Amino acid sequence: MDALITAGDRREDLTARLPELAREARRLIIDMAAGPTGCHIGGSLSVIDLLLAVFAKFGSGPPHAVVLSKGHSAAALYAALHVHGVIAENPAETYGRSGSLFTGHPNHKLPGIPFATGSLGHGIPYAAGWALAQRLKGTGGLGIAVGGDGELQEGLVWETAQIVQAKGIANFIYIVDVNGGQNDGLLEEISPVPRLRERFEAFGFHVRELDGHDYGEILHAVEPPPDRPLAVLARTVKGKGVRAIEGNPDAHYAKIPEKTAEKWKRSLS
Amino acid sequence: MSLSSREAYKAELTELARNDGRIICMEADLGGKNHVFQADHPDRFFNIGIAEAAGIDMAAGLAEAGFVPFFSTFASFAALRAAESIKLAMGYMGKNIKIAAAYGGVSGGWFGTTHHCLEDIAVLQSFQHVRIACPHGEEETRRVIREAAASPEPYYIRLARNDGFRSLERPTGSSAREILYQGGKREGAQLCLISVGEQATEICARLAEENPDLLHAHLVYVDSPSLKRYAEELRTLSGTFLVVEEHRGTGGTASYLSLLLPECRVYSHDCGEEWPVYGGTHAEVLEQLGFGLPGLRRQAAAIGGHHGI
Repeated sequence: MDALITAGDRREDLTARLPELAREARRLIIDMAAGPTGCHIGGSLSVIDLLLAVFAKFGSGPPHAVVLSKGHSAAALYAALHVHGVIAENPAETYGRSGSLFTGHPNHKLPGIPFATGSLGHGIPYAAGWALAQRLKGTGGLGIAVGGDGELQEGLVWETAQIVQAKGIANFIYIVDVNGGQNDGLLEEISPVPRLRERFEAFGFHVRELDGHDYGEILHAVEPPPDRPLAVLARTVKGKGVRAIEGNPDAHYAKIPEKTAEKWKRSLS
Repeated sequence: MSLSSREAYKAELTELARNDGRIICMEADLGGKNHVFQADHPDRFFNIGIAEAAGIDMAAGLAEAGFVPFFSTFASFAALRAAESIKLAMGYMGKNIKIAAAYGGVSGGWFGTTHHCLEDIAVLQSFQHVRIACPHGEEETRRVIREAAASPEPYYIRLARNDGFRSLERPTGSSAREILYQGGKREGAQLCLISVGEQATEICARLAEENPDLLHAHLVYVDSPSLKRYAEELRTLSGTFLVVEEHRGTGGTASYLSLLLPECRVYSHDCGEEWPVYGGTHAEVLEQLGFGLPGLRRQAAAIGGHHGI
């Protein structure tokens, strides 16, 4: 497949084409799940709309940095970067295979991926450090971390929120993919992360809550306030787009037959 | 009066930052009040609080944007608590971060077990791509800080606490990456002492002074690539080495040199396997662990025949 987007495309045009880009990205994610290794399909399908919208709005390079901190959703990141034309190769063709850079968690050797994540929590302080650097350089750049609600169980997240507050790092956006699931089941049954809005507000963040599959809401919400860091709590559905697995916490990781993949891809709206 | 290595670090970094706007100084609340870097460069000084792992990851973001962040905390909290961040950001991704780890070894003295770190070299050596420097005394520490600032490589610099030492004389303009020799003839030595770190270098220098024909090789860099290079040079000097290092034997410099020099006899004078659970000064805690000049004398005598006592 040729890249759907070229360098000459305007940002406004990209935002209008998000539904089309999302359909293609979801096809790629399903193809990766149908490959020899399978992939983290549930969280990839929940976060893909957020990634596509953020890339459409901010691009994938300096002065901004977009870091997928919930790195197990690498399939979504690769798909998003591919449909945006940042990664030329089709990731589904070699995902997880010997000699491929498309590993199961984001590979920093690929373009558009500044930091290898997947060990949860690390992408958030990285983005905060990038944001601090942009402030020191006066570029107006942002540090943007896209994380997950399961990741909020990691102490690193709250260490970073503490530092961001203490150092007044206002050019920092933390987007949480709130899909309610984690590896072994539902967050609510394993280790809930209650009162998120209040928590982030207590750390000095401006908080916006939204539907993480509504492009209009996402594009509007990720506009940073001038004086405070921003936390975006995006309600999403694990497995979004594939009826057979939507909302099913068991769809965290899946390896599916080719026939199933074809059926799921046809069913994408 | 020489500055302690951790004070020398602060002083040298502050001076370097006057001519290098890329340098950032980060502390995890253990740099002390009235930090000299903060006084001179307040816009580039960040005490991020007690958050070591997040601090290293933030430093990675700063490094990616072109800054040269120096991150300082105690060795135990850097090498162990932030180990995963160091592995990822520095070991695997090679981000240009410099760690200045004070309280290396048991220099915390009476501060006790939690504040000692006799495992850091083992942890850091296993990360492969991180330069590890263990300078001795003020001048050598300053030299290492300058080398770290000028290098694009990630660095772990092991410092101590309050003792101030005068560094061994080094030829003008030479790098701390070169082996520094003392005493004895260079080729065919019956026994070559190898010192790593401040206390080790002090007692090796003393023993070398007592025995003028004993060869003493002082190493500052003990990361894997440096030791591989040193091994080529060392094997031309002697077939028997006694490595002196304030560290566990396991995973220390002696253990790695023994792999690199299979044809040689490599011994270790180290801090053994006991936990440092008692109070006392730095020297007293070392003595409790069996590390020091008397033990080194006995060991050298046992290994090297007439070269010992």
